[in-house]
Amino acid sequence: MDLKEFLALEPNYDAEGQVDLRSLELVSDYDSHLMCAICHCAFVQPVRLQCDHVFCEKCLRSAITSFRSADPDGFPCPSCRTPTSHLSMSVPRLLINMCDEIQVRCPLATEGCEEVVPRGHVQSHVDKYCGYQLVPCPDESCDKMTRKKDLQTGKRCRHDYWRCSRCEEDVMEQDYEEHDKELCPSLETVCIDCGTVVLQRALKTHIEACPEVLSSCAASKYGCQVKIRRAEITTHEQQCPLVAIGPYFEAQNTRLNSLELTTRHLQQRNEIFEDGLANIRSTLVESSRIDSRRNDTAPAADAEESADRSANVFSSNATTYLLSLHESLREEVNQMSHALTDLDARASMSIMNECLRIKEDMAHTNAAVNSVRMQVQWLMNPRLHGTRTGAMRTNGTSTPGEARSQFTPSSTPGPSSAAGSSLGPLRPRRPSDTGREGTKL
Amino acid sequence: MASSFAGKRLSKELLKMHEHLPPGITIVKSDALDEWQMDIRVLDDNPLYKDQTYRLKFAFSDKYPIEPPEVQFIELPSTSDTPRPIPMHPHIYSNGIICLDLLGQSGWSPVQTVESVCMSLQSMLTANTRDERPPGNSEFVAYNRRRIRDINFVYEDDNV
Repeated sequence: MDLKEFLALEPNYDAEGQVDLRSLELVSDYDSHLMCAICHCAFVQPVRLQCDHVFCEKCLRSAITSFRSADPDGFPCPSCRTPTSHLSMSVPRLLINMCDEIQVRCPLATEGCEEVVPRGHVQSHVDKYCGYQLVPCPDESCDKMTRKKDLQTGKRCRHDYWRCSRCEEDVMEQDYEEHDKELCPSLETVCIDCGTVVLQRALKTHIEACPEVLSSCAASKYGCQVKIRRAEITTHEQQCPLVAIGPYFEAQNTRLNSLELTTRHLQQRNEIFEDGLANIRSTLVESSRIDSRRNDTAPAADAEESADRSANVFSSNATTYLLSLHESLREEVNQMSHALTDLDARASMSIMNECLRIKEDMAHTNAAVNSVRMQVQWLMNPRLHGTRTGAMRTNGTSTPGEARSQFTPSSTPGPSSAAGSSLGPLRPRRPSDTGREGTKL
Repeated sequence: MASSFAGKRLSKELLKMHEHLPPGITIVKSDALDEWQMDIRVLDDNPLYKDQTYRLKFAFSDKYPIEPPEVQFIELPSTSDTPRPIPMHPHIYSNGIICLDLLGQSGWSPVQTVESVCMSLQSMLTANTRDERPPGNSEFVAYNRRRIRDINFVYEDDNV
C-alpha cells in the first residue's frame, strides 16, 4: 500500500488496557537485528518498506508524519534514505515469531507478579491469568481496586484496615499477610552466622557488615582461595602475597589488553598488505608468461620464485640484442654512404666526358652551318635582285608590303634550318624555278 | 519525560553506551534525560585538534528521535581543570554552534543516535584541514539570538 493509505489507517495501539511492549523488562537478550532503529526496542507490529528495512508501525508513522510536515514529497527510509512511496504491512512470520519469543517479566511485577512469559503472550497473561491484575472491588460501596487473586478467597471487600499487633500500624486487610510475614518493621530475625537478633528489614545491611560472615580474599580473582570470617580478612589481606602483587597484575592485564588491540590492528593491516603483494606477484607472473611466449630465449617461468629472475634475464637480453642491432645498422649506413660518394664521382666524370664530346660536335655543326649559310647568301643575292624587278613587271597585284616580307628571312641572320623552312612556303613559285634549284643543290 | 518515547529511547541508548563506547568518546553528564554532555577527541594526528578534547551539549526535545537533538560545542575556560575549547572548523561558529546537515530537520534521520552523531562530528573534525571559522562568524556570534533549531543553515559546502 502507499504511504497515504498507511497514514489513513486507524492505529490500533495505545488502546485502554493494552500492554506497552516497549517498556517491558526483558529477561533474555535478543538479537540486535530485531531492534527497531527508531525506538531501539524489539519490533512491535513491524512493517516493511520498499528497501526491505523494517520498523515498528508506530515509529514509522510518527517519522512519516513529522517528515510530511517538512516536505510533502517522497519519504526517505530512515536507515538508507531511499525514497519510498510504498510499504508492506506483512513481514516474514519468522521475524514476528522471533520478536514474540523474547522472554519478558510481567508488567505487574511492581504489584508482586514474578511471572516470566514470552512477549507474545504477555497481553493474554495480563488479561486473563495474572493474579495481580487490578479489578474493581466486588463491594460496590468501596471504590478501591483489588488484585484479581484476592477475589478467589471469597468475593468480598478486603480494604478494611487491620491493626498490626507488633508495630501498631494500620494495614489494609489485603496487604496484612505480607506485612505480617515480611514488611513489619518490628519483625525480628536471627543472623545465621553470628547468632545476633536483628530486625528483619535490617538483615540485609547486617549481612553485609556481619563480622562472622565468610568472605573471600580481595585477591580471589588472582587465585587466592582463602575464605575466612570478615573480622579476620583484613589481617589475611595484609599478609596475602597475591593481594600485594594485585596492582601489578592489573597493570599487566591492561597492558595485555592494549597489546592485543594493537596486534589485531596490525594483523588487519598485514592482511591488506599481503593481498596487495599477492596481486603484484600475480600480475608479474602474468607478464613474464607473455614475454616467454614472445621470446624463445627467455626461460619458461611458471614457478613464482623464478618469475622475477626470468624477467630480469629477459630484460638484459633484450637490451644487448637491441644494442647489437643498432651497431650493425650503423655499419651498414656507413657502407651505403661510401658507395654513394663513389657513384657520385663516377657519374660526374662520365657526364663531363659526354659533355666535351657533344660540345666538339656542336662546334663542328656550327661551323658547317655557317659555311652553308654563307654559300646560300652568296647564291641568293644576285637572284633576289633579278626576281624583284621581274615580279614588279609581271605580277601587278602583289603589293610592296608583300614583296618586302619575302626578303626578310634571307636578310636576317638566323639558324640555317629556320631560314630554309621559311623560304619554302613564302616564296612565290614559278615553273622556271624548279629546274634551276635542282641544279644548284 | 522518563516514561515518554524519547525517555525510553534515551535510557536504552545510555545502557548501550555504558556497555561499549567507541574510542575518543566519553559520557560526561547524562543524569537528566533532556540534556547530556559528551567529550570527544580526534583520534588521528590532525595538527588542528591534536591533544585536545571538546565538549558537546545535546539537548533533547520530547519528540526525539523523530526530531533531531540540538547539538553544540560548549567552552570551558582554559584555566579550569578540564579546558574545553571550541574546535576550529569552517562549519563551527566560535560560540559552538555547528552547521551540519545531519543535525538539521532535513538531514536528520530517527535511526541516528547520540553515539552516531558524536562519531560523525569526530570524522568531520578529522577530515578538516582548514584552520578557519565560517564566513560571517563574528556577525553571527554577535547578533544571533535564535535557538539552534530555528536557524536556517544553508548546506552548500560538501568538501569539509
